[in-house]
Amino acid sequence: MKDTLVGGGPEEDTTARRRPAAPRPEHEAALRKKKLVGLTRPWLLLAPSLLVLAGLLLWPLIQVGKLSMQDYAVKFGGGVGTYTGFDHYTDLLTSELLWQTVLPNTAFFAIACVGLTVALGTLVALLLNRLGPTWRLICSIAILAAWAMPAVTGTYVWIWLFQPQDGMVSQIAGSMGLIDPETTNWFTERGPFYAIATLNVVHHGFPFVAITVLAGLMTIPKELYEAGELDGANAWQRFWKITVPTIKPVFLVVTILSTIWDFKVFTQIYLMPGGDGANEEVYNLGVFSYIQAFAKNDYGTGAASAVLLTLLLLAITIVYIRTLFRQGEEDL
Amino acid sequence: MKRRVIAAGIAMTLGLTATACGSDDGSDSGDKATDGKGKTLTVWIMEGTNPDARPFFKEAEKAFQKKTGAKIHVEYQQWATAQKKFTTAIEGGEDQVPDVAEVGTTWVPQFAETGALVDVTDDVKQSGLNDDLVEGLKDAGTLDGKQYGMPWYAGVRSIVYRKDVFEKHKLKAPTTWKELQSAAKTLKDKEPGMIPFPVAGGAEMFATPFIWGAGGELATESGGKWKSGINSPEAVKGIEFYTGLATKDKVSPAKVNTWTEKEVGDAWGKGEVAMSVNGNWTPKAIVEANPDLKGKLAAVPIPGQTGGMSKSFLGGSYLSTFNTDKKDLAWEFVKMLTTGDFAAKWADETNYFPGQNSELKKIEAKKDPLVEPFAKQMLEAGATVPKTKAYGEIQASKVIPGMVQSILTGKSSVQEAADKAAKDMDAIFAKDK
Repeated sequence: MKDTLVGGGPEEDTTARRRPAAPRPEHEAALRKKKLVGLTRPWLLLAPSLLVLAGLLLWPLIQVGKLSMQDYAVKFGGGVGTYTGFDHYTDLLTSELLWQTVLPNTAFFAIACVGLTVALGTLVALLLNRLGPTWRLICSIAILAAWAMPAVTGTYVWIWLFQPQDGMVSQIAGSMGLIDPETTNWFTERGPFYAIATLNVVHHGFPFVAITVLAGLMTIPKELYEAGELDGANAWQRFWKITVPTIKPVFLVVTILSTIWDFKVFTQIYLMPGGDGANEEVYNLGVFSYIQAFAKNDYGTGAASAVLLTLLLLAITIVYIRTLFRQGEEDL
Repeated sequence: MKRRVIAAGIAMTLGLTATACGSDDGSDSGDKATDGKGKTLTVWIMEGTNPDARPFFKEAEKAFQKKTGAKIHVEYQQWATAQKKFTTAIEGGEDQVPDVAEVGTTWVPQFAETGALVDVTDDVKQSGLNDDLVEGLKDAGTLDGKQYGMPWYAGVRSIVYRKDVFEKHKLKAPTTWKELQSAAKTLKDKEPGMIPFPVAGGAEMFATPFIWGAGGELATESGGKWKSGINSPEAVKGIEFYTGLATKDKVSPAKVNTWTEKEVGDAWGKGEVAMSVNGNWTPKAIVEANPDLKGKLAAVPIPGQTGGMSKSFLGGSYLSTFNTDKKDLAWEFVKMLTTGDFAAKWADETNYFPGQNSELKKIEAKKDPLVEPFAKQMLEAGATVPKTKAYGEIQASKVIPGMVQSILTGKSSVQEAADKAAKDMDAIFAKDK
């Protein structure tokens, strides 16, 4: 990971060093041509993917941005939009629901999920790293099954487990006297609702972290640990002084990706009882945006909250990426 | 963001299919409209109403081809996602909408407003079908005197109860709210394993009969403007009684707070429910899921507060034609399906009520105890929800389930919850004006 990110560095240095050695005039034209090719070739090579990205991501993004500044009415054969400026944003940013329910739900849920996913993923990766090949294969397949499960199916399984009165967890908790199954419905309270959603998302998200961190762990030279052991470092110290600094970029990448995924969770919330709009207390940004746009047909506000989510994620990603690059520079 | 891309993808796919279907009809546009030789009609039908609609439409296709020479291409849609699919197609225009589609009565205002549906008022009159249509159902799809399609079938909710359980405890079918309450309380004492009367938080149409029954309205119109009536003293009284069954009388356990009609149906199938508000199409499905219950179910109209009946939502489906170049041919197909043999066959297979009085009378004449109470409810105490696009949005944003759930969980008092629901409804009414 680190190599690819800072890979351009040393090569540039060598060309810069070579340049003063070639000032002969007959080579000047060739040199200029070479420079031109050097400048355009990377872009030409990137062009196909940039085009695809622009078509699939940038264009819809611009459309959503445009929509967020309109009142849009569906009409036969093409809708009519009336520009309203930043009205939707003003409405949105002054709404109590957003500040008291939607944003706190989204942010705390995402932080909890990212923290737990990365911690659990790392622990599993450490375990896999110590296992022999057979058991590593068996365990990998087991955790990959959790990853491969579609979000919809996974969500229904968790709902089923926590089904009030009839679900397995409810029955166990009821028989231990922790709850009164007749009067307990976990899906109607914000805390338990999100606790169940967190279990669901972490269970679905940790395999990716585990596999990625495992790949990082396998690149760490054994000698480092041997040297640490000789110096008297215990397992805890070896993890924090050797493992973590060596594969820090891997952690950064899985954290960025998990953050993005966990901020925009939709399916896992929407499918839970009461998560489809009936219970305002459990709105997150994804569901809120969906209800505005597709239930209330208020496409403008829906788009505005989608833009808000994008900006929020962009801000978080920029912070992460800066940390990542600073990390890279330090290593040079 | 991803959603947009998916929506665009769906739109593109729809566009492609629509063009693919439409490709074989271009040349003969000069022909008489009802001569459909070489033409293909695209028809969208909702999945799940008829346990197996495919044989029915195979037959209808054959009959229609024989009559007009045109082919029928049926695409089956899911109730849960169809409204969004329609919206996307309407946005795409003539190339993307179907020629004929089954449209839920509460969607008619929204689709009609976009200009996508054909006003068939005159066609209906010309065909002499007008006087035979079930009034409440005809009304549901008529806006400003324009009728946007033919009523195809209808459903209504009444009370379904376990005859065997009621007999065992010497209970009578309730005829007032008080009797309903005391029957439920007796059942709670004597049948601890059963849910006496589920107050399902996610089922809007379970709550509305009690609002109407107490003399309340969901919303009222004056001068073209709608205003919510859900926090009026009458409506609040109805909501108080309905939610009180769970919060005070405890005849509905906490798990039911988040249930929709689907979960209530599942619980019926497991034999867990003693009595509930239920659609006229459900008894057959319940017995299919649990054959032990055969002969043990009975129905009664939803009782009024002190006698008579409480009104119940009369919902159903229209067969509407869209503004495409094949709309005349499409109307022929609609006529064929909504009258005569095909209408009777459909009603018989689905257990729903037909949209025509003459067909409805035939069903009533059968005197089936699981059909008659519903027919009575439909003919004498059916109600429609506010006929405006905004009400569709109110339903989609779950205003009433939200209100009921917040009362059931004790988060707000009945009045607070009703005031909030009224505020939410009025905000949506205001936005659409």
